[in-house]
Amino acid sequence: MARACLLFLGGLALLCWLGPLCIAFDPHRPDWQALSVAPGVGGHWFGTDAIGRDVFARTLAGGRLSLTVGFLASLVALGVGLGFGASAGLAGGWAERLMLRVLDMFSALPFLLIVILLLTLFERSLWLLLVAIGGYVWIDLARVMRAESARLREMPFMLAATAAGASFGQRLRWHALPNLLPLAFVYLGLILPQAILVESFLGFLGLSVDEPSASWGTLLSEGVQELDSAPWTLLFPAAFLVATLAAFQFLGDALRDWLDVHAVPRTDVERESAAA
Amino acid sequence: MTLSLRQLEVHVGPRRLLGPLDLELVPGQCLGVVGESGSGKSLAALSLLGLLPAGLRATGALAHDGADTALTSRMHAALRGRALGWVPQDPLAALHPLRTVGAQMRETLRAYGHADADARDLLERVQLSHPAAALKRFPHQFSGGQRQRIAIALALCSRPRYLIADEPTSALDARIAREVLDLLDALRREDGLGLMLISHDLPLVGAYAEHVLVLRRGDLVERGATRDVFADPQHAYTRELIAADALPFVGGSSGVGGPSGPSSSAIMGQELGPEGPPTRAVPLLRAEAMRMQYPRAPTPALDDVSLTLHRGEGLALLGESGSGKSTLGRAVLRLLRGAQGRVWLDDVELTALKGAALRAMRKRIGVVFQDPYASLDPRMRVAEIVSEPLRIHGIGDAASRLAKAGELLTAVGLDPDMAMRYPHQFSGGQRQRIAIARALACDPELLVCDEAVSALDAHHRREILALLATLKRERGLALLFVTHDLAAAAAVAERIAVLEAGRIVEIGDAAEVLRNPRHAHTRALVAARFGIGLAAATGDRRNARSPDRIRASCAPREGQ
Repeated sequence: MARACLLFLGGLALLCWLGPLCIAFDPHRPDWQALSVAPGVGGHWFGTDAIGRDVFARTLAGGRLSLTVGFLASLVALGVGLGFGASAGLAGGWAERLMLRVLDMFSALPFLLIVILLLTLFERSLWLLLVAIGGYVWIDLARVMRAESARLREMPFMLAATAAGASFGQRLRWHALPNLLPLAFVYLGLILPQAILVESFLGFLGLSVDEPSASWGTLLSEGVQELDSAPWTLLFPAAFLVATLAAFQFLGDALRDWLDVHAVPRTDVERESAAA
Repeated sequence: MTLSLRQLEVHVGPRRLLGPLDLELVPGQCLGVVGESGSGKSLAALSLLGLLPAGLRATGALAHDGADTALTSRMHAALRGRALGWVPQDPLAALHPLRTVGAQMRETLRAYGHADADARDLLERVQLSHPAAALKRFPHQFSGGQRQRIAIALALCSRPRYLIADEPTSALDARIAREVLDLLDALRREDGLGLMLISHDLPLVGAYAEHVLVLRRGDLVERGATRDVFADPQHAYTRELIAADALPFVGGSSGVGGPSGPSSSAIMGQELGPEGPPTRAVPLLRAEAMRMQYPRAPTPALDDVSLTLHRGEGLALLGESGSGKSTLGRAVLRLLRGAQGRVWLDDVELTALKGAALRAMRKRIGVVFQDPYASLDPRMRVAEIVSEPLRIHGIGDAASRLAKAGELLTAVGLDPDMAMRYPHQFSGGQRQRIAIARALACDPELLVCDEAVSALDAHHRREILALLATLKRERGLALLFVTHDLAAAAAVAERIAVLEAGRIVEIGDAAEVLRNPRHAHTRALVAARFGIGLAAATGDRRNARSPDRIRASCAPREGQ
């Protein structure tokens, strides 16, 4: 299942980036001769929208944007969450408690509301979008990293480093981060769909990218307006989004299982069988 | 009326982990299965119970009361419920944390059609105090020894004829361990249970079992009546296991690595060398009025403890779990938040230092921890681990540090060519050597060992103690050795401080403390540790179990 999901997601990414090279239609150029054409007519596999733009080309272009923004925003969240969580867990004591309260504060804020305000008040740019989405998804990641880092803090090898005179920064760089990184990358697979979803949500509200560029979210909001005359303009981007999110979901479950299995073996028997 | 297992083999894929092995359980008799970790002794028990982890495959012929049963068949499943009981190693992990003891026992009793009221009788049978009240309590409200009694009662719920006890006491300290083993022995004698006792400690098993099997890396190396095996061990490995219990004094001329007599007679008889601990005006380490109170703990972990340690001297902090010995070790190292008191290294007050100044002083103290599996960062190569203290203090460049790592590995008896491997490629004993090499990286004056040998099996324990004694002699290291093991303490330390409930109750010359313990608590520790080995060697089983003597000397602890 996990392998099938990975194949699907890989294939989708390839399609989004290489697909436009193979199809004749420009996602942004209207064709006034072919308004709201049904799927399959005139070489438009997914039909066209109200101003005659090819839905297939627009869906791929939207996917390119959604995946890119989702991936970059996840990386931003990964960096911030890993750094914050690892530091908090390793520090312990009042510093950790303070940083946890900061996390609580962020969780308590109606974050989407703030993001919407930000994007409405300031000039929209890719950077602002990345920061907004990354800021939304980093909190859970930071919590997980904090917990794991606190566990590492009590590990004898960390005590040994402290006893040898290692400073906080040395312990963070040499022991905490290298041991957290595999877990962080597994969590990348779990926060990516969240980031994509938030981006689509913002896009649906018209707060993501501006016309004529499109993400899956903006395509959905256009599609909703044409639901009566051309339902396919909603249907196809929605199907792509749902399939992508579902694939990530299954992948995330598999990653969680993998994490459970690869916990450190503890008992005698587990060691014996692990040694085999 | 016996349960026999013939030609047991355990495979994972094409690889054989265990066997071929024959074993027989007889009601009213005890079979000891001995081996170090990885020897397959737990696999034997789990095959018998049909509880092997997924991916492992057991083959063999199981016969009970003359009837053959195929391993892992439905008949085997029925058999293991009615005939076999299992006592786990870690009772805290084996008991359900959110259900009362009574609920857990009733579950099994009902499954076998017994009356609920039996639960109370069973708790009485395992000598748990206040059985009626215990039924309503949760596992975390009991001590380790009490939990193990509950686990035994739980195993008895299905009225088994055989009990399989997999390292039932390795999570317990020596005195409680004796009580649990005495209980199992009473069940064997009085109720005619067949007992399979699995342990890494041959002298311990020898005191209780009629027959022993010695396993090594999945192969049977020795089997026979306990008395014969102890009197005339056939295999070199068995001799090593028997001898490993006997550790001569550090002051003795023979040294730890030398030949040792049968069991503890060597320890009791040997004299401390003529040269006493060196005395100097300024001790290397001085700790005064150390106090530690953990949050929400009813009593302090450390209660006004002071100690001094001179250059080149070995001081053992001896005590049971919960006595505060590890807390004291960590407080002295300034690794413990909230500890009070003052610590001097030479004439520098460690407790007055902070930040960079404190970190710089840490060069002069090396530390070795208990768990060789967790004390090495799994993502670092051995060379990086060993040279990490040098890197921390910015000593030398990458090339010189690598060279130094090689030297250190040689010094602890490892091949420097192994420097590029990762920790998981080493055995427990080798890892502890790596940890010692790391502790020595900055040429410290003081080495603190926090239960450094208690996670190791007898063979490796002996080797590591010999290594520590050698390093101490050759480098003039002072050693602060935290342990619950009297024999280990005697092997590396000239002085022993006995801790109980956060206080030092007795401190003095190692030989004197062992031969002539003054405090009742020390006497109980000495009896619990040396009674077993002595009896196993002489074949005197009565003497091995003298619980009355032990109980009499430490009666006040009963109510805990």
